[in-house]
Amino acid sequence: MADLQTSPADIVGAGVAPDGGKYVYCIIRSDRQREFGAIGIGGGQRVYTVAFHDLAAVVSDTPIVIYDPTRENVLAHEFVNETVMKEHTVIPMSFGTVFRSEDDVTELLRSTYQAFSDVLSKMQDKIEFGLKVLWDREKVIANIERENDEIRRLKDEISRDTASSTYFARMQLGRLIDSALEEIGQRYVNDIHDPIKPVAVASRSNKPIGDRMILNAAFLVDRAQEQAFDERVKETSRKYEELLTFKYSGPWPPYNFVNIKLKLEKAD
Amino acid sequence: MGLLSNILFFPVTGPVAGIRWALGKVQTVVEEELTDDSSVKQELMELQMLLELGDIDDAEYVRREAALMQRLRDVREWRERLGKGVSGGPVRVARDEDEGAAE
Repeated sequence: MADLQTSPADIVGAGVAPDGGKYVYCIIRSDRQREFGAIGIGGGQRVYTVAFHDLAAVVSDTPIVIYDPTRENVLAHEFVNETVMKEHTVIPMSFGTVFRSEDDVTELLRSTYQAFSDVLSKMQDKIEFGLKVLWDREKVIANIERENDEIRRLKDEISRDTASSTYFARMQLGRLIDSALEEIGQRYVNDIHDPIKPVAVASRSNKPIGDRMILNAAFLVDRAQEQAFDERVKETSRKYEELLTFKYSGPWPPYNFVNIKLKLEKAD
Repeated sequence: MGLLSNILFFPVTGPVAGIRWALGKVQTVVEEELTDDSSVKQELMELQMLLELGDIDDAEYVRREAALMQRLRDVREWRERLGKGVSGGPVRVARDEDEGAAE
């Protein structure tokens, strides 16, 4: 194996073959050769398909390198999937999946043919939407203080009396606010999730990112239901526009609803 | 939006034995072992969130991204040195044992 070297293009390469490698974006059903334009990762590589029977891998040529998940690379990966998705149901591949040769890609399709076919049938005309909800903690706390008598009483007590005895009052206040926050957060999540769920085929909650996020959900939606879903999300977000920030995104390939574990190994 | 969390953690990937898929139910999020690698990825997602919320500007994003990329590379290098699996880089479908013996 060649020495690891860092190139300026954010990639670490074991520079053996210059372009024999194939970067794989997704798997689709297609019985003919397709071209998707010069939109591939690594500076606008040509994106095309490698076929096996009625399945095809959407690929572009690449040197054998490890791609860093920089925003530029990630967006290139995603843009290809978005483009392909306009006409096809896709099974997205993990970012940075590089095969050493076209034969290796064909082998992937051959050996995983049945699983890919099954999942493509299940995912036919389904798309994913993401919904992240963030709150402004200070605003919510201000609300809690207005509405919760005990918390208000404690606050008053603390502000009247600056002596050391307020230490315990402060501790108690902190605890009360924390548990009120948790309760309210859960209530928001349920109130947001419940009306949206029925218009989706499936939903999934992921771990929130950062400390301001209270909901990080993905929804699988039938294309026929896209508009209904959209309206439901917007309706719900209007209800909370004062207090919460909604980050609604999509359509995505069904990242959160396809779970195929490939038996891959490192190609040296 | 959601981009990094999606493609860093969930999609089709290897190497793990077996082929399976699950659908139609809320899946349990199987937390990956919290390796250094995933904490960097977590920070990367938070960084993206900050950019989307307008808390940081582009220049700040690029600066912090570069630092995180360096950490990812460092982790990768260590894992390689220790003979542990590394994500990314060239892969191929694992051969059956009899075929593999021909290698």
